[in-house]
Amino acid sequence: MQWESVAPALVLTLQVAACSTALVALPALALGRLLARREFRGRSLVEALAALPLYCPPTAFGFLLLRAFRRDGPLGEQALGFDLDVLLTWRGAVLASALMSFPLVVRTARVAFENVPPRLEHMAASLGASRAQVLWRVTLPLARNGLIAALLIGFSRALGEFGATVIVAGNIPGRTQTLATGIFDALQVGDDARAVQLAGWSALLGFAAVWTSEWFLRRSRSATS
Amino acid sequence: MSGALEFRLTLPLAGFTLALEHATRSRALGVFGASGSGKSSLLEALAGWRGGVRGRIQFDGATWLDSERGVALDSARRGVGYVPQDQLLFPHLGVEGNLRFGCARDEGLVERVLRVLEIEPLRTRDVASLSGGERQRVALGRALCARPRLLLLDEPFGALDRPLRRRILPYLLRAQREFGAPFVLVSHDPTEIAAVCDEVLVLRGGCVVARGAPAQVLAPGGELDEGFENVLRGRVSAVGAASASVDLGGVVLEVPRAELAPGELAVVSVRADDVLVARAAPTGLSARNVLPARVDELVRGPAARLRVQLGAQPLWIELTEAAIDELELTRGAAVFVVVKTRACRVLASAGAA
Repeated sequence: MQWESVAPALVLTLQVAACSTALVALPALALGRLLARREFRGRSLVEALAALPLYCPPTAFGFLLLRAFRRDGPLGEQALGFDLDVLLTWRGAVLASALMSFPLVVRTARVAFENVPPRLEHMAASLGASRAQVLWRVTLPLARNGLIAALLIGFSRALGEFGATVIVAGNIPGRTQTLATGIFDALQVGDDARAVQLAGWSALLGFAAVWTSEWFLRRSRSATS
Repeated sequence: MSGALEFRLTLPLAGFTLALEHATRSRALGVFGASGSGKSSLLEALAGWRGGVRGRIQFDGATWLDSERGVALDSARRGVGYVPQDQLLFPHLGVEGNLRFGCARDEGLVERVLRVLEIEPLRTRDVASLSGGERQRVALGRALCARPRLLLLDEPFGALDRPLRRRILPYLLRAQREFGAPFVLVSHDPTEIAAVCDEVLVLRGGCVVARGAPAQVLAPGGELDEGFENVLRGRVSAVGAASASVDLGGVVLEVPRAELAPGELAVVSVRADDVLVARAAPTGLSARNVLPARVDELVRGPAARLRVQLGAQPLWIELTEAAIDELELTRGAAVFVVVKTRACRVLASAGAA
């Protein structure tokens, strides 16, 4: 099996996972922080909505994205006046992966923020730090390892995303085909050797990302205990 | 305190309601009481760390809390330096990072705190590597670096064993002298409070049951367990090879030399059951302190004790009722008190003012 037939899917997978992680980072960490520290009306509703991609079939989310971004959808060309160019592009794969990894990032970030003793934040405020300074000088440094782990878990999830991606971005070799959709394609055409190679790369990348996130999680627990 | 601390507050706690009222101009107020008496809650209420506090707190003319008018300043605006029992050092910052947290730009202050509290050698250390006593000094230093108007010290030595606690006391005295920081000190160690405070509140079940000068309030019996220690303050008048003379105000006490220097203020403790009483001046004794005194209070019963005045300072002595009868001790009786030099412990010293 030649490297050339695997490389485009491998590179695109890494590119999609990195972009989707960057896309969810800020909103997911902000929501994790909110859920870790604030009580507010409608909190349980927000929690349930944020967790929805964990429990619904990815294909359902793919379908919703397809409806939203198609020409006559609420985010389509007719409604916006211009084309976001999401469907059947690598950007669609990024969007699908981001949506599916969002709840995992939120949950892990929430635990990371919860592990920061609130009394330390209180002490910082008592020493004259503003709310932004407390976040920047105490909360984020103490939650750092847990937050890195959260992003790595999101990255891992994005590496393996299939259901929503195949609906939104399609499975076009060299353009939108990732490792996950590539395996499906190889199986359909009976190219077992390529499927094995793509699966091997998937397993290797997934293992590396999860193992690294576990390492950060362990460090996170020891840093705040 | 340059101004006064005045509070009248209530705070519901598990099992009882803290209901306290006090007004003071003391620069060193002690809060004494058993565990669960509400001491720490009082401190957290003063620090602004507690919700649900009702009433009024004023310091130095500023209103920190007035629940009727809806005024409740947060802890930063109160300008308090709070040193909690668990210190709450920032684990991701080193010693110097912790000290600089509240005063990043004031180089001189940080250097002064490092010097006064003798934490200079620790400045590059990770806080996780510090011993209990070092952590306490760094926490005190961090609070001082934030230029507090009032220091709130919650059992600052509580996590340490007794000898180590006593080694930390001098730093508190130094901080008081060098930085002029008035403080409220919560402790369950009467000796600690008597050594550094000039006024004490005794709490029980969330209420003040006694208040006044430590020498008057923290007497043996009552609130205190066995093993009462007298705390005496005086100026070092002479230093010998192994002992030093401390002038208690007309009466000179020989104490172990420790690290005392002439002219220093010394705080010395003497256990009430380490003192002998004689009606006539005994001779041929190894004890270095045979001091004339007069009985000014006598308590009979199972916890029999008497109080004499050494110079202007009270000294409690525990003895048996049989000894009181045999020596025919009465109020006003002239006696000699006998104290071995080694029975005197130097708790702290502070340089000449």
